[in-house]
Amino acid sequence: MISKARKVSDYKQLTKELPTLRYVDPEHVHINLTTARCENYTLSKEKGDYVKMGEIIGERSGGFFKQPIYSTVSGYVKDKRTMIDSTGVEVECLTIRNDFQNTYCTTITDRPDNYIQNMTQDEMVEIIKQKAIVGLGGSGFPSYVKLSTDKDIHTVVINAVECEPYLSSDYRLIKDNPEEVFHGLEYIMQATGAKRGVIAIKKTKKELIEVLENELKRFKDKDTSIAKLKDYYPQGWENETFENAIGIKVPVGTLPMEYGILGFNVSTTAAIYDAIKHNTPILKRHLTVNGDAIKFPQNIRVRVGTSVEDLIKLSDGYIEDAGEIEIIIGGPMMGKSVPSDNVVVTPTTTSVLVLKNVDYKEEPCVRCGSCVYSCPVDISPVQIMNAVKRSDKKSLEDLQANKCIECGLCAYVCTSKIHVTDYVREGKKLIR
Amino acid sequence: MEIVTKNSPHLRRPNARVVRMMRDVSIALAPLVIFAIYQNGLSALLILLVAVLSMVGTEYLYYQVVDALDRAKHEDPTESLKKLDDLKYQKKRNKEKMESEKDVFSEEYYKAFLAEYKEEAKRLKAVAKEEAREYETSDNRYFSLNNKSFTVYNFSVITSGLIYGLTMPDQSPLLIVAIGGVVGVFLAKLIFGGLGQNIFNIAAFARVFVVLSFGSALAYESFVDAQAGATALGIFSNNMFDASVTDTYSFWTMFSGIGLPGSLGETSALLILSGGLYLALRRSFDFFIPLTYIGTVFLLATAVMFQQDLGIWYPLTHILSGGLLFGAVYMATDPISIPVTRPGRIYFAFGLGVVTFVIRLFGSLPEGVVFAILIMNMFVPSIDYAKWSHTRFNFKRCAIFTLVVALAVAVVLGGTYYA
Repeated sequence: MISKARKVSDYKQLTKELPTLRYVDPEHVHINLTTARCENYTLSKEKGDYVKMGEIIGERSGGFFKQPIYSTVSGYVKDKRTMIDSTGVEVECLTIRNDFQNTYCTTITDRPDNYIQNMTQDEMVEIIKQKAIVGLGGSGFPSYVKLSTDKDIHTVVINAVECEPYLSSDYRLIKDNPEEVFHGLEYIMQATGAKRGVIAIKKTKKELIEVLENELKRFKDKDTSIAKLKDYYPQGWENETFENAIGIKVPVGTLPMEYGILGFNVSTTAAIYDAIKHNTPILKRHLTVNGDAIKFPQNIRVRVGTSVEDLIKLSDGYIEDAGEIEIIIGGPMMGKSVPSDNVVVTPTTTSVLVLKNVDYKEEPCVRCGSCVYSCPVDISPVQIMNAVKRSDKKSLEDLQANKCIECGLCAYVCTSKIHVTDYVREGKKLIR
Repeated sequence: MEIVTKNSPHLRRPNARVVRMMRDVSIALAPLVIFAIYQNGLSALLILLVAVLSMVGTEYLYYQVVDALDRAKHEDPTESLKKLDDLKYQKKRNKEKMESEKDVFSEEYYKAFLAEYKEEAKRLKAVAKEEAREYETSDNRYFSLNNKSFTVYNFSVITSGLIYGLTMPDQSPLLIVAIGGVVGVFLAKLIFGGLGQNIFNIAAFARVFVVLSFGSALAYESFVDAQAGATALGIFSNNMFDASVTDTYSFWTMFSGIGLPGSLGETSALLILSGGLYLALRRSFDFFIPLTYIGTVFLLATAVMFQQDLGIWYPLTHILSGGLLFGAVYMATDPISIPVTRPGRIYFAFGLGVVTFVIRLFGSLPEGVVFAILIMNMFVPSIDYAKWSHTRFNFKRCAIFTLVVALAVAVVLGGTYYA
């Protein structure tokens, strides 16, 4: 109640021990042509063309970067349709009919280890850039930008915290393929010249720590270690992870590279391994289907481009007496709620949650201060809320509303069930 | 089945509720209530009942009036319908104008007005319809015994009533208790806008109102009643450093509160502290506040003890006597009328300690807790001011705070030296 309350009940026991189901052969896949970061695209394939798995079918561009679009199955190009992506934005998608042959594109060939050992930073960055690897934790930030830094990097931190409730996709990834994570870390350290690699994980995930420690024995020659972090939310927030794992505090608003740190999500690390070792783009990913309004929660390894409708059918659909439900792409604390199940799995989709809708009754704020005590960036959400109600821009600036990371903890702990996070978001908009 | 969209976060903390917080305070007060009735008999029960009922009743009546006004407002045509009527009248005037003074008000001008009129009228009608529909579905249309804004359901007014009742001395005239309750809840809470809006602690406000208006009827200054003589602070107010206090009351009497004169709830330090422990374990208050408050009084009293060459009994008497413990645990922790940040709350509690001690030592009244709470309530907006409020301590702030503490000690010592 009135205290620092950062424990968020996780519902991971629903799925974390379930084996990963392989669902990699949908009838159709839908490749998103635009993303929230790239609005423009050019297509090099037409309707009826045959494409192979891992073949370039176009290029999307926007802002400061370009990115090739890859087909994730072999089959025939059908028409375009509009779907929703993981950020809740409507994107145009190209439908490809799967021919179930899994014909690989000729560019997909393994690189020998002794060749990789002699690769330079530029070569690696070029591969990552060509294979369109982005931050798979949900940010979608292109990884080559991080990797091509000319700053002096001393530590690479792999973020395996996964602090959002309900999610267990990273958990399954580490349990199933820990060696991919270590190899990926090795490559990143080689590219950036970092001396030290740290895998940050919650200390409550004992099974994973065991798996990682076993794997660590094979990588004795490198200075890699496992940092066991406390179990609280938002431990997975980059700056929080850095501070607790290696003890360097990165102020909000500055890039961690300036402090010699580079952070990657575990799925991104595994994707970087795939790109450099097997020369593949992101074809498949781990995904959790979970929630209290779905019949059979499970972990699924899916092909990028699968529609969420299919995944929900695969999990036996919604429960019968659901009433109002919410479909959330991402975690329940920061995820996006979407208006229909016409959603496409993009590389950055970590999970699909189907929750029963609960309408909380708001009571007047009693200034209990729980939100202030719990805030991870040390701002005062309740005062920001009051300033937003008065449209007081000057106070909002003094209260540093723009420091907010929208983790949602203030609304989570609110004793009056007020949606404080929404007010803070509005405050951020007011002073932008 | 229907899919709805909402903004994140989609989860809420299951057991975080206002009602739980307020109910916890009532539960923590229960032993004190029982002790007060055991100690003082039926009159204590009556005082507590009157205090709670007067506050609950006032709030209930107030919200019934508010609801009635709300209903009356909605029976009138709504704001947008009124605007529509104005617009129609304007249209009529313009038409007449067009016909009578054609050279000034041409037909084209009228047509332009008409186009604008149509759009505006359409919008206003839509708004009026929306308003009517919203009202249609609200459950506020008819008189109901359960009115919606009434906060008895979340225990907040019951808690205020209990705290107020427990600060009253035994044998207080019931009429005065009732007047205090009515005025307190009305002036300190309802006219500010109800739960969460009050800037003064309701119980403290009611108590101070009673002291200032009916002080002589309560015989506040030397609580003489059937059981015993003056309170420890009453002795102090005659002679600032009277060591005979320890002869009158043993340490155990002051700690357990058995046979100690004083207000209903403030005598038993043991029960107050155990209630505070319960609240701290349930996290229903920030235990830093009572800790800082009591610590500040202890620090200042210890400083005076060294200067005047008194025994350790002096600071202990200050802590155990009067309403300090009760005020620190139950009144200073009321979240609504204190700052929202932890450093702010610590500054606030420190201020309470200084003001309480200064009133006790130099003021004309023997007791200063409720006054201190009201005085410090006034500083809450300045402590919470956006320019300097902060949520964590750092080295600089700690240094400044230490300087202020040292200054407060120096001022108190200077005061006792010259007094």
